[in-house]
Amino acid sequence: MAKIGTMMDVGKRSLQNSQTALQTVSHNIANKSREGYSRQRVELQTNTPIGEGNLRIGTGAKAGLISRTNNPWLEKQIQKEQTSMGFHDGRTEPLGRVEQVYNEQINKGLNTYMTQFFNSFRELSNNPESLASRTMVREASQQMAEDFKRVNTQLKDIQDDVDGQIISLTDQINKMTKEIAVLNEKILQVEVQGIPANDERDRRDLLLKQLGEKVEISWAEGTNGQVSITAGSTAILVSGSTATDLKAKRTDARDRVEIFYSQDQYGSEFKLTDNFKGGKIGGLLDVRDNIIEDALKHVDELAYNLAKEVNTIHIEGHDRYGKPGVLFFEMPETMKGASEKIAVNKTLIEDVGRIAAGNKPGATGDNTISNMISSLQHRQTMQDGTATFDDFYNSRVGELGTITQRARSTQEAQKSILEQMSSIRESISGVSLDEETTNMIQMQKMYDASARVIRTADEMLETVLSLKRM
Amino acid sequence: MRIADKMTTTQVDRNIQKNRAEMASQQNQAATQKRVNKPSDDPLAATRVLAARTDENSYKQYMQNIVQAKSFIEYSEQALGELNDALVRAKELAIGQASDAGAGEETRRITAEEVGQIFQQSVQIGNRKLGDRYIFSGLQTLTQPFDPSGQYSGDSGDIKIQIHKDAHVGMNLAGSKVFLGEGIAGDGYIRTSPSHPKTVDELKEKRMEDQEIQQLEQEDELNQVQTRSLASTGSTEKISKQDPVTNSRGLNVFQTLKGLEISLRTNDKAGVQDSLDMLDQAISQVVLARAELGSRVTSLNATTDSLQKAVLDNKAMASQMEDTDVFKLVSDINKTESTLKATMETSSKMVQRSLLDFLR
Repeated sequence: MAKIGTMMDVGKRSLQNSQTALQTVSHNIANKSREGYSRQRVELQTNTPIGEGNLRIGTGAKAGLISRTNNPWLEKQIQKEQTSMGFHDGRTEPLGRVEQVYNEQINKGLNTYMTQFFNSFRELSNNPESLASRTMVREASQQMAEDFKRVNTQLKDIQDDVDGQIISLTDQINKMTKEIAVLNEKILQVEVQGIPANDERDRRDLLLKQLGEKVEISWAEGTNGQVSITAGSTAILVSGSTATDLKAKRTDARDRVEIFYSQDQYGSEFKLTDNFKGGKIGGLLDVRDNIIEDALKHVDELAYNLAKEVNTIHIEGHDRYGKPGVLFFEMPETMKGASEKIAVNKTLIEDVGRIAAGNKPGATGDNTISNMISSLQHRQTMQDGTATFDDFYNSRVGELGTITQRARSTQEAQKSILEQMSSIRESISGVSLDEETTNMIQMQKMYDASARVIRTADEMLETVLSLKRM
Repeated sequence: MRIADKMTTTQVDRNIQKNRAEMASQQNQAATQKRVNKPSDDPLAATRVLAARTDENSYKQYMQNIVQAKSFIEYSEQALGELNDALVRAKELAIGQASDAGAGEETRRITAEEVGQIFQQSVQIGNRKLGDRYIFSGLQTLTQPFDPSGQYSGDSGDIKIQIHKDAHVGMNLAGSKVFLGEGIAGDGYIRTSPSHPKTVDELKEKRMEDQEIQQLEQEDELNQVQTRSLASTGSTEKISKQDPVTNSRGLNVFQTLKGLEISLRTNDKAGVQDSLDMLDQAISQVVLARAELGSRVTSLNATTDSLQKAVLDNKAMASQMEDTDVFKLVSDINKTESTLKATMETSSKMVQRSLLDFLR
């Protein structure tokens, strides 16, 4: 009798086990496409057998643990590569836009306008008496000045846009760190009972990867299963179940968004912008603070020197009325911001006759000054007399092209590294329908068989109970 | 290797993306016919194309300059040709009246009238205009250079036109040189300095030089010998110092004609004979000026040729740098297309199938 009872018991447990397993299978299938999911398995353990004389009779199986199939070292490596990916993504996108500022393959740009500027002086040389050629000089000069401004503004627009991205990224980071802190607590609660918190861990792994993509972090898991995260070398973002926010805000010092961190709401804030070297934020900051700042400096230098050289010659000359030449460009005070401020002198805009083409006063056909200005194009006036304006600008275009090209190819390479690693990860942790189907069949059969065992036991019991009647 | 479903889908996605990206880039190349659509496509080529384009634009401008300068020079040359003819005619008349055979007071007076006409004609030639500009008034292009008596109000400046990166050519001959014979070198040639100031320092140097020359000329004028002074002319004729080697000197065309006219009118045979010599010199002065202009045109033509060639070379270079090889592109597109098709076909098979499809 006791054995029949045990049999029923074993059957019942087996029924439950197969149900658990089937439920896990359905959990796997349901999460098949979810990013960062690791497939789960029910680990069935043999139940403790019962000793009876010389016999140790098995008592079936029990569901031990539901564990996830996952390689934590691989996850950590992917997280690192993701940081690198984020950095290159962060750089490539704004770089592509910087490049467009200098793209003259399709549109007109500074190169064209500078050429037009010098050519307009050549035209003026041909005919210094004519108002038409003087008007041409004015138009070409204004267009060139406008284009200097365009380059300046477009570059600053990209910086503004990067600022906006940094603010929204900081927001996202703060949300993620909060969620990680919550998950930390949950994992601790669950795992203190000795049960692995599979789904929470999956979610946390995924969040770590996504966080790492945005900002370079270093993290470690403590013995209690909680992770602590540091970013920008000093900012502790998550420690146990508390998360600390990063703050991104515009500063007065430099009209750009900077990143701040403070330990608690009472502590003083530290500026950490310069510490963020990796992740998407790192890439964006690199473009904003190094590449674009450099580009702005160069275009300022070009505008300043061009204005200076033209002015130096122009004031030596005499205009149509025999008056001594005035400044051709309103001189920017400093080199910084020159490309923004460069403008043709208003006196010349109002009266093109004030453009000084000649050397001698009252000589209407004298074109010495306009000849000198046009020959500036081929004079090596930049970089300590080693480059012409064109050389200087063109080499800049080439340089930015090279930087962008390299950024793109590194991004591509990084992408394929990451794809390969994700593929390895999926190969370990990913859900395979074939596999799940097989498992499902297996478990269904087990369920069938277990039910049959119970029925057999039932029949046996029936037999026993009907013994007396017979 | 264990294959999870997500691997398959990611892989399919990646492959299609890759093919699509390639397709898009090739399509863009086909549409623009350019291999380089942004600097990062080929930074080196992009930079060189920029430089080539600047050069091309400059070359075109130089060619335009040359066309302008050439018409100015040719127009001057034509005017001087007429002046030459006029002087030759004056000389013929003078020869006819230089002896007493077949000439007398009456004929000389009539001839004087004709020489007077020639004088007027020469002044008119000196006042020729191209568009708004007087061609013989130096830099004072809007000022009429000669008054009816042949007094000059222009200056001796040269208008320089840029015809190549570092080359300028003089476009005009100042009337003071051709007509008045001022500032002509000892050998009778009119020269313009080939250099053009580029920097402000060079400009200042040039100004100093100009001042010095002016001073020298003034001294020169003071030292000139007054040869003839006729009460009726009201002007003094001065002859520059003769060149010791070639014996030539700059000569005032108008005064020579005026002198002849007066000699004829006053029936001064010796005076007419004297002016024969002067007319010869005047003619040679004009001929040399024409030769100078002619040589400028020749050199301009040569420069135009070389500029045209440079523009072509430049275009070819830029095209090689930035344009697509259309044939290669089309075959590449075909290749990508068939790859894309193959990817799609295999993908559709890979994504569909799972064990579930076979369990009924």
